Amino acid sequence: MIGDIMDAEKIIDSLTSKFPEAISDTNTESERRISAYADADNIVEICQYLKDELQFGHLCSETAVDLIQKNEIDVVYHIGSYDHPVVLTLKAKLSRDKPQIESVVPVYWNANWYERETYELFGVQYKNHPDLRNLVLPDELLGDWPLRKDYEGFPQNTAKNLV
Amino acid sequence: MDTNVGPDEMLIHLGPQHVAQPGPFRLNVKVKGETVQDSEVELGFIHKGIEKILESKTYLQGIPVVDRACYLAALSNEEAFVGSVERLVGIEPTERSQYIRVIVEELSRIQSHLLGYAEYASFLGFVSMFMYPIAVREKVLELLEMTTGARITHSYLRFGGVRDDLPEGFEAKCKETFEYVRKGVEEWGELMKTDMIYRERAVGIGVLTPDVASDLGVSGPPLRATGVDFDIRKDDSYLVYDDLDFKVCTETAGDIDARIWVRIAEIYESMYIIEQALDQIPSGPLFPENLPYDRRSPVMRVPEGEVFYRVEDPRGEMGFYMVSDGSDKPYRVKIRGPVYPTMQALPPLIKGTQLADVVAIAGSMDACTSEADR
Repeated sequence: MIGDIMDAEKIIDSLTSKFPEAISDTNTESERRISAYADADNIVEICQYLKDELQFGHLCSETAVDLIQKNEIDVVYHIGSYDHPVVLTLKAKLSRDKPQIESVVPVYWNANWYERETYELFGVQYKNHPDLRNLVLPDELLGDWPLRKDYEGFPQNTAKNLV
Repeated sequence: MDTNVGPDEMLIHLGPQHVAQPGPFRLNVKVKGETVQDSEVELGFIHKGIEKILESKTYLQGIPVVDRACYLAALSNEEAFVGSVERLVGIEPTERSQYIRVIVEELSRIQSHLLGYAEYASFLGFVSMFMYPIAVREKVLELLEMTTGARITHSYLRFGGVRDDLPEGFEAKCKETFEYVRKGVEEWGELMKTDMIYRERAVGIGVLTPDVASDLGVSGPPLRATGVDFDIRKDDSYLVYDDLDFKVCTETAGDIDARIWVRIAEIYESMYIIEQALDQIPSGPLFPENLPYDRRSPVMRVPEGEVFYRVEDPRGEMGFYMVSDGSDKPYRVKIRGPVYPTMQALPPLIKGTQLADVVAIAGSMDACTSEADR
């Protein structure tokens, strides 16, 4: 089992040497947590490399953060492993006006629901997703993107049947 | 799922209200004869928008909200939430508090597994078997109640410590309760090893292999039942778990029966952990001295930053991703619950099985719809 500070750095080194263009802003927060920004166009290749070469076989979660002041949406992947305790926080910057990114379902099967949820809550369009439709929201809320910061329907619309 | 049905196929909707479901979700099953061809899970019937609610609550107000993501694992939800904030601020809970947290979280694991076992037995058709674990669970809940003041949604953890110390007579009551639990679990275990009808329904049904399970992203008992010894308490250790001696309970068969045996072994293991913790627990204050906020301060400004903190929930890996912008409310909270991938894995798992086994397989996964539908 690997897990000391060297290995967290080894992982970053391996990533940056393989993708010198696509990986930026790497950071070793602690021996078990590292983070990096990835170029949105290369996300599938990067995930495939992480899974095949660096034992990152477990997608913990995938979500998004609405950075309204920068007019950006960050898609955030937390990728862990069954073999070592390092969790990589991988982010991809998308434009807030037309957020679009390639789906990682071919690499991580369980990204399917995470991407559907990110789509309905933030409006991130996943290209080549096998089944991109709403998961937890009712049809009439689709298109409101409720987890974006400029959503005004909370709680008037979302809880209208309750109060 | 393709909803067009062929000449001898049929579409069956299980739920959203169904006696054999832990909460409302709909399982659309396409069958040919009695064999499941394809299926799909529909969620959203009890979507609460907890992630959005947390953005409008101060940090302290968030604690009772995360309790309600899944009331069966309220304490581990709190641990993940409170632990994330502690990491953002840089507070280290005192050792005594950490031990108390381990004790209550393991108690919560025991009661969750007992209820999971009870529900599973009733899904299989052992309706009277539902009542026995519930009686034992009530004793465990009494222990939690005397410590935290509530049976299920506790609001017990605080940033840097816990709300109250262990009550007087806790250790003696623990001892008494554990005897009762051990006696009960042993009795049912015997039943499960010998009852032929049960064995026919549980052994070799709903098999997950280690490769498939890791590919599907499941964690917790369903993964450990396949032989993968992945447990956040060991692999990404938190609190004082490093100082405690325990093993990761695994089975190799990966079927329904193996998942139940993993849970039973974990009940024993949790009791062993609590007994050690009660022996080792140091005396001392509950909160560190240099706490930056008053312990009940409704307004606390958390430094800018982000954190991903995960704990071992009774059902698997529970992680919180929290982003702070320096204000008194979180900017974004993502709850990564263990049930979400487990429920997602249901369609591939039940493909090709008999319709009568669907409920048994789903029951053995011990899903909690409330948490998937945060």
